[in-house]
This record gives sequence, C-alpha cells and structure tokens, in this order.
Amino acid sequence: MKKIMLTPILICLPLLCCCDRNLDQYPHNGISSELICEEDAQLLLTGVYNIAQYKPTFNGWALFDLIGGDIIRTGASGMNTPELLVTMGITPNQSIVASPWNGFYAGLYQINVFIEKIGQLPQSQKKDEMLAAGHFFRGLYYYNITARWRNIPIVTSTIDTDVPQTQEEEAWIFVAEEFKEAIRLGSDFQDKNHVSHQAAKALLARTYLAMGMMKEAAQVAEEVIADGNFALSDFNSIFRGGYNREEIFSFANLVQESSVNMSSYYYTKQSPVGGAYNFCPTQEAMDMYGPDDSRKSVSVDYQGSNPVLNKYCSGDAGHDPLYIVRLAEMYLISAEGQGYPEGLGRLNELRVHRGLSPAAPASEEEFLDAVLDERRLELFGEGFRWFDLVRTGRYEKTVGVDSRYTVLPIPARELTLNKRLKQHPLWDAASDNKN
Amino acid sequence: MRSAINTMLVIAGLICTLTLSAQDQTVEFPQGKLRIRKAFEVIEAQSGLSVAYNEDLLDVNKKVTPPKSETVSCAMEILLHGTGMEAIFQGKLILVVLSEKAQKESLFAKNEKGIYVNMLEEAVVVGYGTMQKKDITSAISTYRPLEKGERQVGCPDALLQGRVAGVNVTASSGTPGSRNRVSIRGIGSLTAGNEPLYVVDGIPLSNTSADAGEWGGETLSPLADINPADIESIQILKDAASAAIYGSRGTNGVILITTKKGYKGAPKVTADASTSISYIPNLKKLAVADADLYLQVQNEAIDNYNRQTGSSVSHLSNPFPDRAQFNWTDVVFRTAFTWNGNLSVSGGSQRNRYYISANARQNQGTVIGSRLDKYGVKATVTSDIRDWLSVGMNLTASHTYSDRVPDGNMGTSILTHALEHRPWDTPYHPDGSYTIKDVDLLHYNLIQAINEQDVYNRNFRMFGSAYLSVTPIKGLKFKTSIGGDFMYAEDHIYYTAKHMYGNSVGLLTDARKAYTSVVIDNILSYGCSSTRGFAMDIMLGHSFQKDASSTASQTGQGFPSSDFDVNSVAAEYTDVTSGMSSWALQSFMFRTTLKYQNRYLLTLTARADGSSKFARENRYGFFPSASAGWVVSKEPFWTAHRTEFKLRTSYGLTGNQGGIGAYAYQALANGGYNYLNENGIALMTQGNRDLRWEKASQYDIGADLSFWSGALTVSADLFQKDTKDLLYNKPTSAVSGFTYRTSNIGSMRNRGLELTIGSELSGYGILWKGDFNISFIKNRLTSLLDDNDIVTTDDYHALKVDEEVGSFYMIRMLGIYQDDSQVPETLYKQGVRAGDVIYEDVNGDGEIDTVNDSQFVGSANPVFSGGLNNSISWKGFDLSLFLTFSYGNKIYQTWTGGLRLGNGEWPAQRSEALARWTGPGTSRSVPRAIYGMSWNSTKFKSTRFLHDASYLRCRNLSLGYTIPPDKSRMAGMTSIRVYVAADNLFLISPYRYIDPEVNTSLNATKMGLDCMWTPQPRSFTFGVTVKF
Repeated sequence: MKKIMLTPILICLPLLCCCDRNLDQYPHNGISSELICEEDAQLLLTGVYNIAQYKPTFNGWALFDLIGGDIIRTGASGMNTPELLVTMGITPNQSIVASPWNGFYAGLYQINVFIEKIGQLPQSQKKDEMLAAGHFFRGLYYYNITARWRNIPIVTSTIDTDVPQTQEEEAWIFVAEEFKEAIRLGSDFQDKNHVSHQAAKALLARTYLAMGMMKEAAQVAEEVIADGNFALSDFNSIFRGGYNREEIFSFANLVQESSVNMSSYYYTKQSPVGGAYNFCPTQEAMDMYGPDDSRKSVSVDYQGSNPVLNKYCSGDAGHDPLYIVRLAEMYLISAEGQGYPEGLGRLNELRVHRGLSPAAPASEEEFLDAVLDERRLELFGEGFRWFDLVRTGRYEKTVGVDSRYTVLPIPARELTLNKRLKQHPLWDAASDNKN
Repeated sequence: MRSAINTMLVIAGLICTLTLSAQDQTVEFPQGKLRIRKAFEVIEAQSGLSVAYNEDLLDVNKKVTPPKSETVSCAMEILLHGTGMEAIFQGKLILVVLSEKAQKESLFAKNEKGIYVNMLEEAVVVGYGTMQKKDITSAISTYRPLEKGERQVGCPDALLQGRVAGVNVTASSGTPGSRNRVSIRGIGSLTAGNEPLYVVDGIPLSNTSADAGEWGGETLSPLADINPADIESIQILKDAASAAIYGSRGTNGVILITTKKGYKGAPKVTADASTSISYIPNLKKLAVADADLYLQVQNEAIDNYNRQTGSSVSHLSNPFPDRAQFNWTDVVFRTAFTWNGNLSVSGGSQRNRYYISANARQNQGTVIGSRLDKYGVKATVTSDIRDWLSVGMNLTASHTYSDRVPDGNMGTSILTHALEHRPWDTPYHPDGSYTIKDVDLLHYNLIQAINEQDVYNRNFRMFGSAYLSVTPIKGLKFKTSIGGDFMYAEDHIYYTAKHMYGNSVGLLTDARKAYTSVVIDNILSYGCSSTRGFAMDIMLGHSFQKDASSTASQTGQGFPSSDFDVNSVAAEYTDVTSGMSSWALQSFMFRTTLKYQNRYLLTLTARADGSSKFARENRYGFFPSASAGWVVSKEPFWTAHRTEFKLRTSYGLTGNQGGIGAYAYQALANGGYNYLNENGIALMTQGNRDLRWEKASQYDIGADLSFWSGALTVSADLFQKDTKDLLYNKPTSAVSGFTYRTSNIGSMRNRGLELTIGSELSGYGILWKGDFNISFIKNRLTSLLDDNDIVTTDDYHALKVDEEVGSFYMIRMLGIYQDDSQVPETLYKQGVRAGDVIYEDVNGDGEIDTVNDSQFVGSANPVFSGGLNNSISWKGFDLSLFLTFSYGNKIYQTWTGGLRLGNGEWPAQRSEALARWTGPGTSRSVPRAIYGMSWNSTKFKSTRFLHDASYLRCRNLSLGYTIPPDKSRMAGMTSIRVYVAADNLFLISPYRYIDPEVNTSLNATKMGLDCMWTPQPRSFTFGVTVKF
C-alpha cells in the first residue's frame, strides 16, 4: 500500500521544476538596449568618453610618432632604424595598422549610437551639449581615420554600416562639418577633460590645416588663442599633472577606465615605475633639443644608458592623460596658416616662451622649415610627426622610404570581409604591376 | 575471502538442487554433443550433488562434448572449459562461479555471449539508463581501464587516448593538469563548443575550466578532479542514435563515466602506490647556435644587407668573449617526481552496498616551479530499503593545488624564453642582480620570471547525486535524482617588484570563481516481455538544469615587500571586477526499445530541449533518433559455429549550444564604461535574436562480428554526420563597429570509418590479447555564407566550402631562389635576392601578399589515427605495449625566433643555421641570412613553418609481476602486484620540434599551432598494488 501512496507523490515532483519561466535568464552587468530611456542619457555620454579614449589603442594614438622617423623599435625585432620600422611595421597584416582601424570604427559605433539615441530626446540645452560631444568625437575619429587611410567609408548610422568609400576631399569636409556642429552646440570650456566648443574649434583649425585651407586654419586658431581660458604654460605643469591653462582637451585616461598605457611603451624597466620599453627615440631625436630649451628634460631623457621619450611618466605603475589638443599647437597652426612673414610672430612667441631665441627665417621655405621643426620639438610624442611630414610632402625624403608609406594600407582582413573596400592605389599590388 | 567473492557473484538466478555423494565418483555421459544444462542434469542424477549456477553468467544452452566417463571434478572442468566459469565443491553443492581469472582479467572479457561473461560487462550505460550489450543498436564504445598495465594519468580523458576508434585525444601540453582536446567523430562545431559532454554517474559535468581564468596561460582541466582509479568504465556515445538522448548537448558525442560501486560481500581493500620520474626528451632538437656560429650568421646577414643596399651597418661582435655560454634550458627543465597513492574499500550486505576511496597525487612539472597536488575522496552508498524502494548517493570531493608557470604564447613563455638569448647572455649580473630585457638581454629573463612570481591555483570541487527509486509494480520504475557540480577556484597571481610584470612595485591579481550546476532528473521506465519473444522497454523523462557562475577579481599594486601578498596591503587597486552569469536548460526525453526473439532490435529516442541561450521564439529544439539491429547469427539459416554477426544502423539528430555565450541573443547596454569615476554605459553587444540551435544529423551503419567464440572480434562503423546552422563568431568588417557577430553561418559534413579488432589467444600458459583500432575521418564544409567566401579564422586558418575545418590557409613556399636572375623584378625591387624564399604567386601579379596569394595547404586533422595494444601474460607476469598513431595532420610552428637568420638579433637554431643557403645549390629549403628583411621569416605565414605532424608514439610500456597467490596469502593479502611502466617511451615523427601533438586550442578552426608549449614528458613509473 505504501508504494502505491508514494509513487504518485514522487511523480508529481517534476512538475515543481517544470517551468518555462526558468529559461529566461538575464545578465547582471547590462540591460537590454531597448530599455534605455532619457535618464540614461548622461550614462551614455559618460560611456562615450570612456569608449572614445581607449578604443583606438596605443597604436591608434601613437602611430604618427612611431612611424614619424624619430622613433625606433627596441629589442631584437630588427626594426632598429626608422626605415626598417616603417617598412617592416606597415603592411596590411600588421596590428599596428589593423588595431587602430578596428578601434576607431568600434568607437564610432558607440558614437553613432549615442548621437542617434540623444537625437530622439526633446530639445534642451543639455541635449545640445551632449550632441556636441558626440560630433566632437566623431570629428576626432574621422580626422584620424582620414589622415591614415584617405579614402574611407564614412558611417554615421548604426543601421546601415555597409557604405562605400568616400574620397579624401569629401572626408575632410565631413570632419570639418562635425567640428562646426560641435562648435555650434557645444558648451563653454569647463575643464580640460570634457568637450567644449573651444576644443572643437581647436580641432577645426587642425582640420583646415590638413585640408590646406591655411587662412581659415589661422583664423580659427587665432580665435582659440584669443580665448581667455587658455595660456601657454610650463611643460612640467602639462606633462607632470600640474595645473595648467594650456590643455584644451585631454582624455583623463584613468587606470581603471582605460587600457591605453602610453608610458609603458616608452619607459624602461630601470625607471622607478617600470616600463616595457618597446619604442625609443632615435639618437637624432634625442639630440634635437637645444640646451636652453625648457621642453628638453620633459620630452626626452636617459634611463641608464637607454634613451626614452619622457612625456608620459607613469611607467607600468599608472596611466597618463591622452593629450588631444593644447594651446601651443594653435600658435603653430596660426603661424603656418598665416605664412611668411605674418606668421613669424606667433612662432617666435612660442619659442621665446620655451626659452629659445626668436627664429629669423629668410624665406617662405625657411619659415615652413622653422615651423615644422618647432612642431617636431613641441609636439614630439603627441601623435603629429608622420602626418606633418606627409601633408607637407616631406615624408619620403625625411625618412627615406617609398611613397606608399605616406598612407596606411587598409588591413587585409577588411579587404577580405568588405567587398566594397578598395585598397589605396599606392598599396594596390595591381598598380605596382603597371609601373 | 574467496568464498565471499563467490557468494557475492552467485546472486539471483536459478538454483537447482539434487543430492548424491562425493565429487570423486565417476559419471558417465551419453555420446555426442549435449547442452550444458543437460550435462549438469546427468551429473546431478549420477552423483547426487547439486549444481548451482547463474543463468546470467553461464550460457547453459551452449552445446559441449562431454567426456565419456570421468570423475565429477574433471567432468565439470571439461564442461566449463572456455566459459570463464569454474566449479567449487562445497559439501553437497557444486557452485559454478566466475573463475578468479575471469574476474580479474576483465581485459579478456567482453563479448555478449562469448566465453568470459560478466554481469558488469553485460550492462552498458546509456543515457538515463542501462541496456544489455546484446541489445545495443547504436554506436557505443566501451572502455574499461585496465587493471594491469594501464597508463598512469592525472586526468581520465587521457585514458581514452588511442583506445577507442573515432575518439581522438590530443594532449595540449606536458603541463600537469592541462586540458586535453577530445573529439569524437571529427569536428562537431566551429565554435569552442567542440568538446564532448561528460556525464559522471548521470551528472553532466560542467566544462568550465578549473581555474578563475585570470592567468594568461593554459587553463586547467575540469576532469582532473575525477580519480582515474575510481573509474569502472567509460562509455562513448558516438552516433546520433545514442547521443540524441542528450539532445542539444550531444552533437560532439557524450562520454559517460561510471565509477566503481560496492557489491555484496566482505570488505575488499585495494591499495596502490606508485612513483614516477619524468623529463622532457629530445631537448637537443632545439639547440641554439654557439657564439661563433651565431656571429657568423649575423655578420653574414649584415654583409648581405650592406652589399645589396649599399649601407654600412657594422658587424656584431661578442662583448663577452670569455664568458661561457649559459645553458638556459638545463636550468629551466628538470627531472620531475610524481607520487600517486590510491586506497579503496568496497563491500556490502544484502541490502546496503558501499564504495569509498581516497586518492593523493603530487605531480611535479618538468619545468622548475611547476607542480600539481591533488587530493580527493569519493563515497558511493546504495541501499535497498524495501524490495520496491531503493536510495543511493554518490559524492566526490577533491582539492587541487597547482603552481603554474608561464607557458606557450604567454609574454614570458618558458620554452621560447629559454631559447631567445644570445650565446653570451646570462641571467645574472656579476653582483647577483637580474639582467633585464632590452638593457642586457634581447628578451625577458626567464629565471627572473619564474623566481619572482608566485602563481598558483586552488580548486575545490564537489559533485555527486542522490536518487530515490520506486518500483510500484513489476517492470515499472520511477527514479528521481538530484545532482550537483560545485566548483570554487582561486587564482593567485603575484609578481614581486623585481618581476618584469610587477610594475616595479609588486602586483597581485586575486581572482575567485564559484560555479554551480544543479540538475534534477525524473525518469519513469517500464519494461515487459511476452512469452512469444517480444520485449519492450520504455523510458520517459524530464530534466532541468541550471548553471550559474560568479567571478570576482581584484588587482592591487604596491606592496611593502615581497613577503606581503594579499591585496589588503596594496597601495592601490588597478582593477576590480566581478561578474555573474547563468543559463538554464529544460528537457523532455523519451526512449523505447523493442525486441523480438533477441534477433530484431529497434530503439527510438526523442528529446526536446529549451535553452535560455536563445530568444523565446527559437528556444526549443527537438532531437529524435531511431536505430535498428539485426542479430543475423541468431537466424535459423545461420550455420557458422561459434561465430556471431550483428548488423546495426541508426539515424538521429543532435544539437549544440556549447560555444555561445549565455546571453548571446540579447542586445545589451553594459555598465562599467566609466569616465572620471562617473558611471557610464555602452552598447557593447548587438545581439542576434535569430540565433538557433546548431543541429547535426547522423547516419551510422555498423557490424559486429565475433569468430571462434570471441577469440577474434571485429567491429566496424561507417558514419556520415551533417551539421547545419553552424554557430560561429562570424568575422565582420570592423566598419560595422564589430569585428565579429555570433551567427549561424554554414554547414559541414564529417564522414568516417571506424574499425576495431580484438583478439585473444591462450596456450602453454600464455595469454595474449591484442586490440587495434583505427579511424578515418574526413571533414568538409558544405556551405558557408554565400558559398564563395573565405572566412579567415586567424592568421593561419580559413574556412571555405569544400575544405576541411581546421585547414591551414597561407602562402606556399616553393623553394629558394638559387640565382638573382630567378627573382621577379617586382620582388627584386623589394630586396628579394638569391637565397631568399620563393613564394607561390597565386594570382600572378608579381607581388606576394596575404590577401591574394594565400591558399589551402593542408589541415590539422589526421587522415587516420588510432591505437594498438598488446598484452601478454604468463604465470604471474604481464607485459603490455601500447602504441598510438596519427597520420596526415599538420602543425604550424608559430615560434620563428630561431629561424630568422639575421633578421633581428634573435639566436639561431643550430640546425637551421648550419643548413642555411650560402650560395647556389647549398640549400633548397633554408634561406640565406639577411639583415633588416623579414621576407623569409615573419613577413608571411607560410608553409616554411608548416610541418607534417604524423607520429607513432609508444604511449605506454608496462611490465608487472603478480606474486603467486599462496605467497601473497602468507602475507595476508589476496593479491600483490609490482609493476614498472614507461610512458611516452619513444616517438617517431618527421616533426622538427619536440612534440607534434601539443595543441592548446580547443577550437577546431584554430588547431595545430605549436606555440612552444611544454612538451609531454617521458615518464618511468614504479608501483605496487595490493589487495586484501
């Protein structure tokens, strides 16, 4: 009898756990993207800052220095001259090429999502400021992509990402428009770690320079210089974390929030804070600063007998900010934009501030040399050199490499996966064949 | 003791009794053949003794030729010859029991109606139940660990290597506790979910690694927590018909592990202790050039460069000409010791049975600082409370501790960093401080890396189940069980301030993982048979499983000294993360087995699975199967004596969800994207609501043959398995914002032939047993996206329709340019000269580039693989030789450091340096030394580094001696055996590096890369087993 009693009870047991509801499982660190609402806008904005600073990776932010002729690879890699570093490092398969491509476009997805979501909110000043940040980052990213790859797909939506390549000229116009939008909507400068209309203006000046619109570049740069928020400051206060009025926009790049550690690539193990020491300045770069140059010790140094780039000083132990734009560049853009002799004033203002004597170039050519030399000294390690040489047509001669290295090849993986993409003519194997 | 065993074995069954007088009296038999049953009746009638036997163990219908006239004892011996049974005389009773030999020599017992039949052997564990082997209609292989001559392994999957046709086990490395790659019938899936499902005593084992995942090196095997000595048998469900009962989890095959249980009788104690020494063989294959040869190569490279570019790079010279060359490998590798001890006790009464065991293993790695200690206990208790009610419980608890060293492609990997030094580099300065990378050394100082780290994993594991089973009416059984698998793992990764990764202040990552898996099964089964030879079994079941994991990890840096190694003293925290995830699976199962006259067999199964990993609309999958068997030899027309023949065929569907994330279908906004310490969120996953079950359909045709009553058995299976809706992280153009998207992207086919041959011969006191298995498996992608695509899965592999999954896709090396005139102009312009590698220009554009000139050049899958075992026993001696082999698989050496010949300051592998091209005709395979050019080495992934990885390995050779029973009885033991064994005694392979088998990737699309993981060691073991 007992078994007859027990059996039905047991057979009912499965019913206890037989429930489809248990098959709905949700994560603990995220919410469905459809559930994002107005209150989440600020969270999304913060997320965009976070994404924008780290997605391009070290290679993305540092590349113009790495292949600018003033940096070589350390160790046994065999890339111990600028020429070898460029010719062996820049191929369609190298991560130095692929990781920034992937990173910039991954960041753009977030930026596009952000602009789309914020665009749906009701009109407000806060909305404008947020959109300004979105357009600023989109401009910054496309500036970097265009400068590297020239003819590029411009994706501005998350729905349709399958777009054809845009010609270089149009791409630059798009970049400029993004900054203009950020200027229009942006708030006034609050702090160096957040987007302001001044920061957008500074990057617009940089974009005009890339487009060869010299007069416009100078004009916009002058507007930034005239802004009361900024003034040239001491290198120590800029690159050693002090208070300064020179930084217009920098990513905070905190250790917990970003994986980009610039310093580790440049510092040696012998420094008190450690370092992986993957790249170091050439001897020529070590020697380029004069004894009176107040930038010298902050820019380069020796650790033991090893030359190091000294602008990022945290080693392995921490992170340094990512300097996106600061006032000195505006002086140099203004000088270059105004040309000889009008621009000499701004150039010398900066030189004198850095402890040097005024330059006295005798011709337009000498003046451009002087401006580029000054840019090299002032902006070493901040991601400028390669593009400065490329946009002024000096790269091949200065570094001693083939003209194809004035543009980066589209990564091989992308060409395989995206049939719409065409390799830049300089890298197209078929065009080589015709030569 | 012996009577206890005998009593134990004479369970249920028919017991016939008659009475007469003594065992020496003579009995007379009629002429001609008699059934055994009839012969017993003759004995009983004439002697007055009664013969007790168990029909399950003895086929009494077997016909024998009795002697004409013989004493009872001799007659019994003759009648029972070849049955594996023996007669014991107890008073007026003749007990027919399993002979002691047959009991112990489970090695010699297998076939269904053959000579040595054993109740345990007969029962084959299938999913959610057991079946008699003779009724099996699907492709199930059984492996029973040998009692004598088994390999000494730390992990049960290693037991299967080379033992079972269709099961390919490759060791990932020689590091203790590392995972093996196990594939059943080829590649099941493109994702990482390619491992079979392991079910231990009915509990699906979680396949999560036994560590918290913070260490960049190898992950630890979750199977290492099972003590191989506790394993009674391993069943491998290979075809869809057998695996479909596991539905969505069965595509990659299922491995059912059944652990030992107790049987009625006095306590039986088995104790085993062994110790091994092991070392890495053939290290000299990797020898690097000495200072003279190194400088010769480097300076030749510089000369070549200067000559062709007009540069004036200066020569390299030895800065320390008086310094003796430091042998890094000698310091890093060692002869390691392993100690292993097992103790088990089992027994039982009429209603209660138990098995308890304990195991301790201390395993040193062959790399200094590496070790794995393991301690485990196990208990199995069953109790028949009433005739209709039984309960049981089964619990394994284990703890492992492992000291880990950086391996393979980690930044400080052991083997490469033992080689990547110039001949004059040493680990220490004269003042005793470490030499460091880029200052004194080319690369990381390995001695520093090992000395200045404290990296260990601790793992606590408990799994088991409890059940309650009721039989309310005859034939009907209801079983409810709850099982669990609980794991707690702790990774401790501490780098002192002196370590290269210690950030100069000390760095500690302390990570924890808790994993729980709970499964509740309810099974209702019913069996009946009619008097006309019709029998039926039905099983209905429901199962619910939920897995959940939680992880936490903090990284702190800045420690007062290396004595402090907890994060509470860290100056700052650089990373703090934690995570939680869970998934659930609900299943309904059905199986029926129909049998007519033991000749015609039909099994039908079905399972419906619902998984939380898919969107509601795609959540449920249905997985049916059917299989049929025909025992041809039972047909009246079958006349061949002592020969059996069975045909099987099956078809079924299985599914797979292993490789996809718990929330893959959901588009998510994730937190943690903070800026300036403010909370931020970001949309990190796109989600894909269209994700659906990956499904495989599989046909199988098999035949089992047995000749001369099982002296020779042959089993062959042909199968074809089609998998569709393959899940894969499909690479996408980064322009979309994502570099991949989890999608169902294609389909593939595996076809194969499996052959198993077993034989046994005895005579002159010698018993020989041979086992051979071989499997030929061919994989082919049958569709992929829009079918013209080539999807590169990493730098070395790609997927394409009609190619094998795991195919290498790279540039082909054709040879070496012997003269500048052979170099095409476009390449000449790039600096290519005589002595450089000729690559095949597939599209003929004069350029060599990865996009246009890569081609399929072979695969990491073997054409065939298998194993061969031979055992011989004579008197107390047993000798066993076990070989494993694999043919046709390729391996790519990702480490090219020693082969760069002047491109960079890398040391040269001695053999390569000596074979280099130095002028026309000097080499057709090794290029010249050239400085500043990566053309020959790192510029392309090319077949220069792709090698044939076929091998024949002497997996195990063992010799044992069992002390004669009378002598061991004097010592109070039932059995004493001493043994010596050699594992990996030799290896025959064309591979230039040490181990062609190392393969850490569990992902089928990325197999066959040798990143210089620690090779498998060669071991010699000495051990003793005693029983009482």
